[in-house]
Amino acid sequence: MTHSTRDLRPKTYAFLFLELLFGTLGNTLFDKGMKEVGALGFLSASQIWAEALRIASNGSMWVGVLCMVLFIVCHMLVLSWADYSFVMPFSAFSYGLVPLFAFFWLGEKVLTARWIGIGLIVAGVALVSTTPPSTTEPAVGEVSLERLK
Amino acid sequence: MITFVAALFVALTGAFGEIAMTHAMKRVGEVRHFSPAAIARFVVRAVLQGWLWIAIALLTVSFFGFLTMLSWYPVSFVMPATSLCYIVGALGAKFLLREKLNFTRWAGIGLIFVGVGLSWSDKAPTMGPLTVGVAVRGTIYLLALVPLALYALGAWAAWQFFRGRTAATAQRVSFAPAVSILKPVRGLDRGAYENFASFCRQDYPEFEIVFAATDEDDPALPVIRQLMRDFPERPIRLLIGTERKGANDKVAKLCRLVKEARHSLVVITDSDVRVAPGYLRSVAALFADPNVGGVTALYRALEAPSFGASLDAIAAAASFAPSALIARTLEGLKFAMGSTLATTRERLEEIGGFEALLDLHSDDYEFGRRIAERGYRVELAPEPVDMQFPSETLGDYLRHELRWVIGIRHIRPGGHFGMIMTHGLFWAVIAALAAPTKALGLAWLGAYLAVRLATAWVVGVRGLGDPVVRRKLWLLPVHDFFAFLTWLASFAVNRIEWRGLVFTLEKGRMIPVSSPPDRG
Repeated sequence: MTHSTRDLRPKTYAFLFLELLFGTLGNTLFDKGMKEVGALGFLSASQIWAEALRIASNGSMWVGVLCMVLFIVCHMLVLSWADYSFVMPFSAFSYGLVPLFAFFWLGEKVLTARWIGIGLIVAGVALVSTTPPSTTEPAVGEVSLERLK
Repeated sequence: MITFVAALFVALTGAFGEIAMTHAMKRVGEVRHFSPAAIARFVVRAVLQGWLWIAIALLTVSFFGFLTMLSWYPVSFVMPATSLCYIVGALGAKFLLREKLNFTRWAGIGLIFVGVGLSWSDKAPTMGPLTVGVAVRGTIYLLALVPLALYALGAWAAWQFFRGRTAATAQRVSFAPAVSILKPVRGLDRGAYENFASFCRQDYPEFEIVFAATDEDDPALPVIRQLMRDFPERPIRLLIGTERKGANDKVAKLCRLVKEARHSLVVITDSDVRVAPGYLRSVAALFADPNVGGVTALYRALEAPSFGASLDAIAAAASFAPSALIARTLEGLKFAMGSTLATTRERLEEIGGFEALLDLHSDDYEFGRRIAERGYRVELAPEPVDMQFPSETLGDYLRHELRWVIGIRHIRPGGHFGMIMTHGLFWAVIAALAAPTKALGLAWLGAYLAVRLATAWVVGVRGLGDPVVRRKLWLLPVHDFFAFLTWLASFAVNRIEWRGLVFTLEKGRMIPVSSPPDRG
């Protein structure tokens, strides 16, 4: 039940890419949606309910939710074989992509220090990608499922 | 301040949610086919995992916090602000998920964190400039939350375990093969006769009890002979002397005991253990599952004859039991405790018998580790055993705590260092000192006390049913204080004292300093 690193890389990267795409899209849509909804307040149960309804009536939020569901399924699939400490840094790419989306689509300002920060993030992700995607043994659960087949 | 607390909250719940999800997905197993049907099957299997639901709960809370922050600040500030989860996540991956983070991976994660920090430092809309002081304080607060989270995790694991035990034993009581109870003895423990007699009173079809002592002078021998007279219907044997010599005298006796045992299932318990009449039945029943290779048991105090013994009882219930239960829940037990080591001859042969453990200090730990390494499960007996703690002084207590922590340093140096995150009192004091106002400082100490006492009550009183912990729970901060000192001292000390003999440890092996007396 040991996997060679070579087997895991292509599918790991494929799903990480999809995850990143859906995640970034979802986040940006949420940002757009929440800006349209306006500031929230949670002082009483009835207010929370009213705020929830207000969020639910926004179209961008719904597309955002769809993107997030796809994002989570991709995330779950990747985590079924890859290390969390391998997957986690890749999601840092969204720190690069979200400001870019925010810059081009929503017109938010991106400062110089943030661009440097994004550069460091990219370098960090590049470093992590040189390590093997999975360093743990398959869990007991997997072994017993194999036996059931 | 509220901005920072919100970011911290989002990061912590997010990171622990992700760790729970990874654990759930690893239990489901690697997905190899990506047809819609295969992915649907995978999703169905995933939702049957309890851990996934814990993950979803945590991630939902995190996400809700994130949404709230988004309504306050632009997304390009909110995203970096919640990135503390990279550090929490990396630590969680290493210590909870047992992933192997090499230097490159740590460096990469470090770069990302710095990069994210840089993005953060340029401006925080209403927070004011991020000063070094604020960052240091934030880091301390973050770290001080970790032990509190661990306490809660321990209580949760205990609740899971003690809730499930009744149903589990009721199903399997019919499995009861003949058992050899093996008891190495040295010297006389408090209540020795009652301890031994509790094994003679087992409600079990067929079993024998075999004692082993080093020599004829052992003060336990008259008690054992009395026992043989009082329970003539029980096959009880007494072996004197060991054939093998090793630094670990108990293991030398076990080698001989196993050789002389008549039955395939052997149950080994320390001499200071007392059990209920249903003990043997519940331990043996676990072996009905062929995947179970070993059974061990949690323990609780019978009484506390001294201050040292009270601290000992509290250590067992508030530190040791929760860590064992967390380990059991997260990855399955990979160690065993001297309170009960039960296994079969076949499993014992597979790990090279007790002969392989002759010079090891932590023989019970190693026994469990080797059984688990062969792919077998190490299970916990559903009921804790009673332990007759000796009437020890504070000094005795500290010496054996130190021995125990030094043992851990040799078996798992990384885990030993990581124990710093289990010292809630230490972190609460640091956080209180770093707090800008007196009220906030007191709040940190109060939070530690509340979480610590409540979780220890769940594990020790509700779960284990420990009478000493019930009466003396207030000693817990005192225990935590001494535990922290012992942990610090364990870095500097390498000599251990064990039943009157002095040893140093080298890679878990005991090297006698003074020449041990003749073992006959």
